[in-house]
Amino acid sequence: MDPSNVNLLYNSPHQIPLGILLAQYFYLTGLSAGSFVVSVIAILGGKTEYKPLGKIGAVVAPLCLILAPMNLLVEMAQPLRAWHLMTYLPGYINPKSPITYGVMLLTAYPISAIIYAFFVYTGNMKMSKVFAIIGIPLAISVHGYTGFIIALGKGRALWNTALMPTLFIVSAMVSGIALMILAAIIRNVYFSQGKTEEEIEADRKLIYGLGKFLGAVIIFDLFLILNAVLVLLTSSKGAWHAAELLLWGRYSLDFLGVEILLGSVIPLFMVFYPKTATSLKGLTIASILVMVGIYAMRYSVVIGGQSVPLH
Amino acid sequence: MPEKSSPIAPADDEKRKTRYAMVIDLRHCVGCHSCSVACKSENEVPLGKFRSWVKVIEKGRYPDVSRQFLPSLCNNCANPICNRNCPVRATYIRPDGIVGVNQHRCIGCMYCMASCPYDVRYINPLRKIVQKCFFCDHRVDKGLEPACVETCLGKARIFGDINDPNSEIAQVMSTNPVVTLKPDLGTEPHVFYIAADYDAMDPTSGVDINFILFEEPY
Ligand code: SF4
Ligand code: SF4
Repeated sequence: MDPSNVNLLYNSPHQIPLGILLAQYFYLTGLSAGSFVVSVIAILGGKTEYKPLGKIGAVVAPLCLILAPMNLLVEMAQPLRAWHLMTYLPGYINPKSPITYGVMLLTAYPISAIIYAFFVYTGNMKMSKVFAIIGIPLAISVHGYTGFIIALGKGRALWNTALMPTLFIVSAMVSGIALMILAAIIRNVYFSQGKTEEEIEADRKLIYGLGKFLGAVIIFDLFLILNAVLVLLTSSKGAWHAAELLLWGRYSLDFLGVEILLGSVIPLFMVFYPKTATSLKGLTIASILVMVGIYAMRYSVVIGGQSVPLH
Repeated sequence: MPEKSSPIAPADDEKRKTRYAMVIDLRHCVGCHSCSVACKSENEVPLGKFRSWVKVIEKGRYPDVSRQFLPSLCNNCANPICNRNCPVRATYIRPDGIVGVNQHRCIGCMYCMASCPYDVRYINPLRKIVQKCFFCDHRVDKGLEPACVETCLGKARIFGDINDPNSEIAQVMSTNPVVTLKPDLGTEPHVFYIAADYDAMDPTSGVDINFILFEEPY
């Protein structure tokens, strides 16, 4: 029937069960995983001039990951029962649920990240390489699993796609690199007493290189988003409505305005335009924009995905 | 050699598995909402929350208009995503097919609410755990019908064991065209509708999705 001839008179209330705190949780684990990966690349890269980056990432990663699950505890209706998740007894946990393997990763990853940070700071290169290699799959899966939480939420058309885990990991890399750039800039500007001019200049070169890396990952992220949107527009009716919400509806400002324009396109231009790409101010602005953009991405996926009515 | 079971002569009655289900015959539904009321009083459903409710739409242009009803409840799916996604096994499937929630195990993570394709679960704001329709299993276990079925004045709701060929529900289902909501999702819902309206079954029909009001979960 022509939709203009249908009127809803009565229905039970619609709910958005997973709220903004869950989006924030995804955001923080993403930051953690992204900065850990950058740190490990710097440590395994071998060259001594990369070492400072490795050190920054080694601190940022466990810090973000300790903050992240707090959001979950506040969000849960029964936070005092959270320990039920950690019994690991076959009859008490459900191995099919992504939350279950997430809890295991959330236990293992911070421990390995802290041990890694310890060895990086005590200068034990051999052991830090060992824990870097252990940490990489953990870091990727700790964020990848949040993509599975979203992807296995079968009722929501925006979520239930095979692209979600990859999209989450790539956007985690984007925000993690941006955070690393910010931390490296702060270190370069405020904590460089007693260093020679050449050392500071070398440090800056490193930051500019990181900016280029950020640009490359943003391009990949934009490509994945394009994939997701094109499929949404041609898939089921629910998917079409999800695309409607994101592209010209309720969440278009968050998605097109903040995530795509402010958080991807403008920073992309800034990290490749020579003037801004080789200035610390320009890179600071680009990184802050990227971090705001990824926050908007988590928000529009979590909240926007649940905003298509199901009954 | 074991005899082959045929649809006419059912197999050994002892071994037959019970599978509870509900048929809602909309030709008999008058949209009186007494099922919603009965459910609320039977299960102490808090204010503003529903385990069973009747969605009502209006369609057409004057003078060719009608009201269509869609009594809605948990479908007690045979392949429920809520059960698959519950991390602590709080959501369970009984051998007779009823999907329940263990009130002492639920940690309130709300993942089941986010994954259920029918949005039939809610958080009880007083007890802070997830609840939903479970075909009044406390009544069924005592040999009674669910409260909504007993109260339905048009006898639109039929409840029973679909694997028992002598039950009313099995006979109604064998002799009428039945549909379920969103069969394409593979959840195998076990609430069947006769003469359900296309637009009433469509969650986005008759609403502007940009202006839907949402409720806090609790
Ligand atoms: S309708 Fe939803 S809550 Fe009920 S069994 Fe199916 S998936 Fe679970
Ligand atoms: S809210 Fe309760 S029933 Fe639902 S998935 Fe979490 S623990 Fe399971």
